[in-house]
Amino acid sequence: MRIGLLTEDGYPYVSGGAGLWCDRLVRGLDRHEFDVYAFSRSEAQEDAGWVPLPPQVGRVRTAPLWTAEDDGVVYGRRARRRFTEHYGELAAVLCTAADPAAPGTVRAAAPGAHREPAGTARPASEADRFATALNGLAELARDEGGLVAALRSETAVRALERACRAPRALSTAREARVPDLLAVAAHLEQALRPLSLDWYEEDGLGAVDLCHATAGGAAALPGLLAHHFFGIPLLVTEYGVRLRTHYLTRPDSSPAVRSLLAAFHGRLAAETYRRAAFITPGNAHARRWQERCGADRAKLRTVHPGMDAAPFGEVGESPESADPHTLVWVGRVEPAKDLVSLLHAFAEIRKEEPRTRLRIVGGPSGAEGADYLGHCKALAAQLFPDEAEGPHSVGDNPVSFEEIGGPDLPTAADAYAAGAVVVLSSVVEGFPAGLVEAMLCGRATVSTDVGAVVEAIGGTGLVVPPRNPRALAEACVSLLRDPARRERLGAAARARALELFTVEQNVAAFHSLYLETVARTPVRRLLLNDDGDPLPFATPAEAHVPGHWTDRAPRAVPAWATDAPVRATTPAPATEAAR
Amino acid sequence: MTDLGALHRETAGRGGPRLPGPDVRATAPEGEPAPTPRRGTADPVKALLHRHRELCERAVDPLEIAAGLEAHGITDRTAARFRHRDVFSLAEELYARVPRDGGTQPSAATALPRVRADWIVFTLLPGALCVASLIALRLTHGQTRLLAAATGVLAVALALRAALRRGPLSTGDPTSAASRRSTTASWTCWLTGYALLGDGLLGTAITGGPDGLPTGTAEGDWPLTTAPVLALTLSCAPAAWTAHLFSARARRRLVSSRGLEDFAASVRPVLFGAFALFLCALGALGALSAALLDEPSAHPQTLTLGALLFLARLLTVHGFTHAPKVVLAATVTAQAAALATVFAARLPGCAPLAAPVDALATAWGPAALPTLICGAAALTLLIHASRKLARASAHTHPEQPR
Repeated sequence: MRIGLLTEDGYPYVSGGAGLWCDRLVRGLDRHEFDVYAFSRSEAQEDAGWVPLPPQVGRVRTAPLWTAEDDGVVYGRRARRRFTEHYGELAAVLCTAADPAAPGTVRAAAPGAHREPAGTARPASEADRFATALNGLAELARDEGGLVAALRSETAVRALERACRAPRALSTAREARVPDLLAVAAHLEQALRPLSLDWYEEDGLGAVDLCHATAGGAAALPGLLAHHFFGIPLLVTEYGVRLRTHYLTRPDSSPAVRSLLAAFHGRLAAETYRRAAFITPGNAHARRWQERCGADRAKLRTVHPGMDAAPFGEVGESPESADPHTLVWVGRVEPAKDLVSLLHAFAEIRKEEPRTRLRIVGGPSGAEGADYLGHCKALAAQLFPDEAEGPHSVGDNPVSFEEIGGPDLPTAADAYAAGAVVVLSSVVEGFPAGLVEAMLCGRATVSTDVGAVVEAIGGTGLVVPPRNPRALAEACVSLLRDPARRERLGAAARARALELFTVEQNVAAFHSLYLETVARTPVRRLLLNDDGDPLPFATPAEAHVPGHWTDRAPRAVPAWATDAPVRATTPAPATEAAR
Repeated sequence: MTDLGALHRETAGRGGPRLPGPDVRATAPEGEPAPTPRRGTADPVKALLHRHRELCERAVDPLEIAAGLEAHGITDRTAARFRHRDVFSLAEELYARVPRDGGTQPSAATALPRVRADWIVFTLLPGALCVASLIALRLTHGQTRLLAAATGVLAVALALRAALRRGPLSTGDPTSAASRRSTTASWTCWLTGYALLGDGLLGTAITGGPDGLPTGTAEGDWPLTTAPVLALTLSCAPAAWTAHLFSARARRRLVSSRGLEDFAASVRPVLFGAFALFLCALGALGALSAALLDEPSAHPQTLTLGALLFLARLLTVHGFTHAPKVVLAATVTAQAAALATVFAARLPGCAPLAAPVDALATAWGPAALPTLICGAAALTLLIHASRKLARASAHTHPEQPR
């Protein structure tokens, strides 16, 4: 099977956040072919280069999202009218969209947004309008080019203004001033850059059997268009919901800008979920957001991120190596981890168990993290005076700040191994990778109830509310005093992690989803012979067999089916990155 | 909610923690039902609303509040304390309850381009170098004068290049500007060259000359008119200033205007004002340089050529490169064609070719030709600019490369 892997900010670039699991996925599914279509987020990322690619990656095509080259096409009258029509339609949908939420949820219309004329199902028709406008713009870009310049042009700004001043527009949109309009137009231009790419050809995305978008938003847009142009099924994986990220990233804009862009991203997410054959959230939190944004529950399959269990195997098998008086915290130091609360909790623990030590392992993330780390070190020095074994030995602080990679703790596994109890004190957390590593190490854990912690830990560790040092302290003390319980919880945690959060289960889940998707919605390609007539049986049934069916023993295929058939449309030359 | 309490008692053991109120740091005494806020009120959402008032007031939809609440660590289990199924329905209640007056203040003024010392110095440089090279031309003779002239031309060209690289006259996009500069720069060179040599050449050509190369002085067979060129190079500084003034004013209008039509109507007077200001400055500089060089003042051709170049640069700076290119090319072609007709008329049987230029030159002098051509071109560009530069999209910030 040929899979088009659509990535953004990750694979195959070295400096990608989500690169690791894509790499594991591609390496794990070596029976399939992968075409990687990647967006790069910055020039620095492009310069950093690619990770080594396995042989099953057939081709890699990349496009920048951080810049767009104007191709110099100036629209004629007809093309401009087409553009104005579609862009105006898009703007109108954004200005009237009251709520990007699920179709079928009944809610009061926002003030200023009146109902559609009687008889039309409002959410469905609006989603259709959005899709039509988007596809119209994509078709225009494919036929004529020049979309980048058009999206930046005055025509676009005028269309936006007209939509905002329309009688049925949202009240926030109606207040849009000229700078707001310009900001929205600029952002839309940026968001719609994937429409101008030359990927939507018969030998590009048209040739794959399945598009797998590794994120929502921009990465899923090519998948949507491939679905529109060629009927390629789309699988969307979201470990963090794009729409939610969007809400958190533009706090300073004016209400008009935020409401229009929220409408755009909400519509785009809803459209992505509507067209996708399957949606795989990484955890229940992402799943709830997706459901909220209109994803059909029947399409949702939670696939937890996979962790490589091998480095933690040795530690996990030897629970007796732990120092029974040591608590360990592992992670990147930043304010969201709430180390202050952990230090206060540790002060309470010391009252009960004076021999306890706390090891905080991890470097700061960014300048803010460095400040926070300094603050925490100062607080630790204030709360806990240095103490020594006897009157003649050098004293030491019970709280130590260390980093992985030093002589003491060469790997993350060693860091987890050092403690009897692993503590997680975050106030905000996505999927807690550190917690899962601790589980793989077979350590008892105490964590705060944030993000996907409860989902990951199940019943195999203690969970306390966030920002509650006393609760954290009580839970830690109860574990420190009960080695048997610690061991029981640790073993259960390791078993749970090995069952649910390994790379193997992740890859297997995607493998079966690929097969299910292709079985449900196979791509039917009509092949033509030289005269332009349809060629019956040109795609033999074996084409749908997974794996390289052509490599094995030769099968009886009619000669007329093997000499290069001609596709329904002529493929245009495509620039391709060399690999 | 009881099941949640049970969950926590189970996981955290006896005497385990309770679900906290958002503002609750300490837990209630043991044995009480868990989900009771410490400072119990009939309306727990109100306290939450008070703490997240800012978030709730500026949210444009409930999902934004939900995202913000989650970023503050509020989960579905916390939402259960507020008698809500999940964060989304809690956010919806908050969104519905927060009063919205609807009155939004205009967004904060956008960052205006700063006046910076470097581009001020660089815009003064071409004029200063031009003065220096003219003085050198006056003081030298023969071979040295040729050398001085070449050095002066090179220095002024380099200074111009530097002046157009930064400040309000730069395109802000070095990669694409580099490809564009080659064509417009050559047209500009021709136009400046014509201002320097063209009038003299035309004058002598009509009377049957020229019989030799220019000597580099205002006298002789092929006289040099240096005053317009000096005025033009000096006018780099006022051009930069007026361009800066125009873009700053336009940005201010952009922030204050409600609609695109509004903006267009308010920015046109600014454009004409800036243009007039530049013309005044150029006129004064023209008079000054004519007095300095002791040459007859050449106001009309200086003003029209300066206006043409200024408008072309202004349009280019704001991203409209096509029209300046076309108009400059047309101007150069017209000038070259006019000169060519004068020389072509010397061929047998082609005498009528030179008649229009001849008539023009005898009626108003040879300076009338570039004045007319450049004036027409500048007028075209002015009309074009009044349409294009009144667009809001011409005044967006340059894209920040990441």
